[in-house]
Amino acid sequence: MAALKAENARLQAENDRLRRVLTDVCGQIVCGQLTGKLPDKFLEQFNQLPDRPLEHVLRFLPAHQVVQMRHVSHKFDSLIKKCSKTMPKKERNGSIAFKSYNTGELSVELFDHCGRRITETTLTGNKVALSELLRFIRIVGLMYFGEGLSATNKVLDQLSKAWLTIRPEMVVFAGDFSRTSRDTLRAFLVKVEPSIRRLHFQYASNMAVSILSDDVIGAAGRLDSLIVMPVPWYSRRPAYNIGDDTLLAMADADHESSYFLVKGCSGITPGGIRAFVQMWMKKWMKRGKSKAGANSTGYRYRYEWDRCELTFYQCANVTPAAVEEACGDLLKKETTASVSSKEMNDQVLYFIECNSTNRRLEIRFNSESFRSHFVTEPRRGIALDRLIYGRLFDDRVESEMEDEDEEEDDGDGFDVDSNDDYDPMNYF
Amino acid sequence: MIQLCSNDDPPVSFTVPRKAVELSKTIKTMLEDLEGFDMEQTPIPLPNVDAPTLELIVKWVEQHQDDPPPVEKPRVEDDDSDDSDADDDQEPEVVIPEWDKKFLPTDDEQKNQLFKLLNAANYLEIKPLLDIGCKYVADKISGQTVEWVRDYLNMENDYTPEEEAKLKEEIAWAEGL
Repeated sequence: MAALKAENARLQAENDRLRRVLTDVCGQIVCGQLTGKLPDKFLEQFNQLPDRPLEHVLRFLPAHQVVQMRHVSHKFDSLIKKCSKTMPKKERNGSIAFKSYNTGELSVELFDHCGRRITETTLTGNKVALSELLRFIRIVGLMYFGEGLSATNKVLDQLSKAWLTIRPEMVVFAGDFSRTSRDTLRAFLVKVEPSIRRLHFQYASNMAVSILSDDVIGAAGRLDSLIVMPVPWYSRRPAYNIGDDTLLAMADADHESSYFLVKGCSGITPGGIRAFVQMWMKKWMKRGKSKAGANSTGYRYRYEWDRCELTFYQCANVTPAAVEEACGDLLKKETTASVSSKEMNDQVLYFIECNSTNRRLEIRFNSESFRSHFVTEPRRGIALDRLIYGRLFDDRVESEMEDEDEEEDDGDGFDVDSNDDYDPMNYF
Repeated sequence: MIQLCSNDDPPVSFTVPRKAVELSKTIKTMLEDLEGFDMEQTPIPLPNVDAPTLELIVKWVEQHQDDPPPVEKPRVEDDDSDDSDADDDQEPEVVIPEWDKKFLPTDDEQKNQLFKLLNAANYLEIKPLLDIGCKYVADKISGQTVEWVRDYLNMENDYTPEEEAKLKEEIAWAEGL
């Protein structure tokens, strides 16, 4: 009974609603004539497009012109500001570099993937906001925080807010961290998490011990590569709270080459390394078996391993002896005379290879080979690939880049001999 | 058949096949709301559309009534792309068909008619018509100076010289994009 009553009430309500709708429609018509007064300037206003069609028009325009169009009128300006968030972005698989030579000034340079400079601007307090700049472009390649206070809270906050426009695959922090807080850094990493695969803290200065932890790195999600090699202004022996969690999170990396190069991460234990090696073996050895018999044309470089490199620098719990004790049964040992070190110490490395998948896992200690993974600061004339892999696959890249200006390249600060400031022996 | 009335005094009415008129989402929704009433006998007033514009609209919907409904674009996504904002984000790809090229009031003296048409397409929610119209306007504007665009869109420069100078400085960086 109650159900019937409810049904009746519902039908009644629906009936009333329809009646009202019809009255609304028909009420305006008396004998086919429209009644009621039209708003003032009713017809004139249609000589202009209202916001929605205008917004639509803007979507079809190239980004640089949309920016110019701000000049048309206040209305246009506010419309552009309003809708730029959802506008199609100019996507650039290139690099963006932030530098701060003078306090309060941030220079931003944008390069395409061939190393052509697209635009450059200097942001000061009252001039252009970074968010303005990010309205129309999307960065999908490399984001490089270079010299000076380039990654301050203020900068990172703005980038986090413009998260739709930042999709970097690689983020490099190589500047001064004295005005960067842990929370801001973490919030930024959360925002780039969908796209980021490689995260570098390479020669970043003034990195307080409290700034990095498993939790902060974990905010960046699944990484293929990680470098934590700060310049230790604070202490000769930093002890970052980075441990096995961060290491093991990377065991799943699928990238052709991956690396995990850390300094002073006290939380990493030989047990964690063993777990990593086992996960790696499970992943690649198993896959190798299942693929056995399949043709081998899938390998890109038959003469080279797809490497997974772990390098531990001054990590309290990780010594060759400890690693050998923990994983000696899994790994092979290799000893080579150190090339660059003036002391005649032998370099020990542990490795395991999987022929069928062409993979090789290496564990190194206090080795300088990590420098090959450092990313060069973006500059005019150097293609993105070269910034990232320039040193890694040097001989191969060289031939592709014959037309490049070699002079310029030599100044990139990554020749060990040419840059005394960054002589690793002084820092580590 | 459905009758549509313009906002003129006296209104001009057009009789349009229901299938054609339903290209307008606004009218389609209304007709669905009024299911059960005999809408064939009730002219629908369009307070935002004048007779010449309505005539164009009618012409367009009649021409396009048999078009296949717009396909929901398949989501081609990389495994690592975000899911939430991808829709709004893609550059729309709109090609103006031959018939529509001739149909759009494209002479310069007709530009106000074009704007009225886009207004109506917006109000009536006829997305394909809005798309091609806006694409046409964008192509027209593309590469033109600010002064030209202002004139074309019947907009007035309401910036003070100071504001203008400041803005110029602000947008200088975008030249290279």
